[in-house]
Amino acid sequence: MTFIPGLGIVKGMGLTLRRFFEPKATIKYPEVKPDIPHKFRGRLQLLYDEYGALKCETCFQCAQACPIECIDMGGIDTKGRFHVHWGAPETYGERREESALRRSGRTVPDPAYAHFEGIDPDPVDGILEDYDFDPKQMLQILEATQAAYGHLPVAALKRISHATGAWYAMIYGTASYYSHLRFERPEDGIQAAAVADHRPTEATFLSSLDTALAGGRRAGAGQATGPKPN
Amino acid sequence: MTTILRTPKGWPSILLARVGAKDPTDLDAAVKAGAFDGLRKAVHDLGPTGVIATLAASGLRGRGGAGFPTADKWRVAATVDAPRRYVVANGYGADPAVLTDRTLLETDPYAVIEGLTIAALAIGAGEAIIAVRTEAGAAIRGLEAAIGAAEEAGFVGPDILGSGMTVTVSVRPVQGAYMLGEETVLLKALEGKRGQPEQRPPYPAERGLFGMPTVVQNVQTLATVPWILVNGAEAFAAIGSKASPGTILVAVRGAGGAGIAEVPLGTPLRDIVALAGGPKPAAGAGAKPPAGAKAGRGKDGAAVAGLKAVLVGGPSGGLLPPDLLDTPYDFDALREVGAHVGSGSVVAADQRACIVDLARLLTRFCADEACGKTIPCRIGTRRISEIGDRIAIGVPRPTDLQLLADLSADVVASALCDHERLATLPYASGMRYFRSELDDHILRSSCPAGVCRPIAVAAGAAH
Repeated sequence: MTFIPGLGIVKGMGLTLRRFFEPKATIKYPEVKPDIPHKFRGRLQLLYDEYGALKCETCFQCAQACPIECIDMGGIDTKGRFHVHWGAPETYGERREESALRRSGRTVPDPAYAHFEGIDPDPVDGILEDYDFDPKQMLQILEATQAAYGHLPVAALKRISHATGAWYAMIYGTASYYSHLRFERPEDGIQAAAVADHRPTEATFLSSLDTALAGGRRAGAGQATGPKPN
Repeated sequence: MTTILRTPKGWPSILLARVGAKDPTDLDAAVKAGAFDGLRKAVHDLGPTGVIATLAASGLRGRGGAGFPTADKWRVAATVDAPRRYVVANGYGADPAVLTDRTLLETDPYAVIEGLTIAALAIGAGEAIIAVRTEAGAAIRGLEAAIGAAEEAGFVGPDILGSGMTVTVSVRPVQGAYMLGEETVLLKALEGKRGQPEQRPPYPAERGLFGMPTVVQNVQTLATVPWILVNGAEAFAAIGSKASPGTILVAVRGAGGAGIAEVPLGTPLRDIVALAGGPKPAAGAGAKPPAGAKAGRGKDGAAVAGLKAVLVGGPSGGLLPPDLLDTPYDFDALREVGAHVGSGSVVAADQRACIVDLARLLTRFCADEACGKTIPCRIGTRRISEIGDRIAIGVPRPTDLQLLADLSADVVASALCDHERLATLPYASGMRYFRSELDDHILRSSCPAGVCRPIAVAAGAAH
């Protein structure tokens, strides 16, 4: 190609000129707001507290709210109690070496699945039948399931999710909210201890109110009989 | 079983009028005593608009704590265009120390059912739900029996009193969270969802249960409605204070014991505290009550020591000093002085209690029971409770009181529901009325009541 002096700058200025008349992408931000979808939340990021522990409580509210279902979660919940997941299993945030192992075709020892226990599906199927597979009666379904199994196994929750069409995230959110619903057998006691640690029961509140009104910890055993037997 | 305190003669009795009944679920006896007269009047004479107009004239306000005018709520729910409507009676009674709603349901289920049916007819709802705490087994059994009997007699169910209208009444036991006492949370639980409050507006009266107009009323409000229809709006408006007429159930706790009493709204706090036998406000700190005053039982000398604070409104209540004992017990006056009707609890704390310790306990409970939906509540109340912990153990930071005030204001300003707004009250009222006691903790590392053990080192650091 022959060298024409000045062609480069003409080309460049041509581009400049074209951009000059194109609609601009820059906006005067605080005065003019960009038109973004109402559920847009910016970049998603998990936060850590001052001790370096993950703040995410795996409540799945973000996954529920996400309109395009782009949020996947998997693993053990933050208190190390039970397995949770949302999204397809392939898209778990799994470690690179595990992923390589999986792609090599060998079996992957996945601790995430260790907490899945097999259940006999008949009781939960009967319960779903009784409540007409109606997700509006989720609380009763969950209570009945807990009565049948002694706790809420993940497999039962999944079955309920499949049968009722309610999202697993919604069911998990409901089940983890109410203090009388539990994900573990009472005899395992892990969750019970965790709950007792984090949420004093109403009885604890009442007894500490009694203590506070009767002069606090100072009273001790000597003055245990408060004036207000309730 | 909770005791029902005797109130002075001349105090009206609306809610607890049928307390003495041998079997509260006996329909014939209840009808003889006047149950379902209000429903008859509503069906035959007044009609839906008449009922709402009567309530508007009576000035009835919701007994759930916020005191929203009942007639306005019903009018909105009745006028919103919708295929279905619901009425929900909130009998959850979230405060574990207060059993007023449960007691009402146990002693007079028919009044609640009647009020619920009137509400359903007034707004055109086909379904009415009574939400009760699962622990209240006796109340649930009584209600189920009462609904069955009332259905057979034609007071609820299809074709009420020959009017052709249908109202299905059902009982729903709910449990598992303190927050269920909040109306939108309760509706979420009834929908089978995670119990977290919704933004208002739209209020449940426009979009509530399953997106349909829903009237959520406390059981006490509903039990009052038949009385108003029978006795007339003027008779009701004459009871209690002008802005909030009528009576309300309070759970009083004082030196003389604890129990439930029905008091007219606008009664001075002094009289309510006296129902539980004091403790009487002393002339000086720790002094014996004046001679002739109705002292507590005085079993152990400390019980008759002077009144230090009155906790009004349950776990998120305000701590009021003895100077404010003349405050009338009604929705607006209490809000003004930094407390609220709330769960209807009135607790008298004597000189042995420490304000910081009490406020710390209450705020901790509120923070623990936060549902976690909004940040001001989930983190803000937690931080408030941590500041209180620092003050109590004697390691406060110099800015803590300012921080407490600022944080409380921010939490109130950005709150989604009343839980977080009111969770700031224990410390807010503590700072307002008991500033010297807080200063003792912070500046002098001493607890006047001797409850907290502030670290002495902090005294040098703060000076």
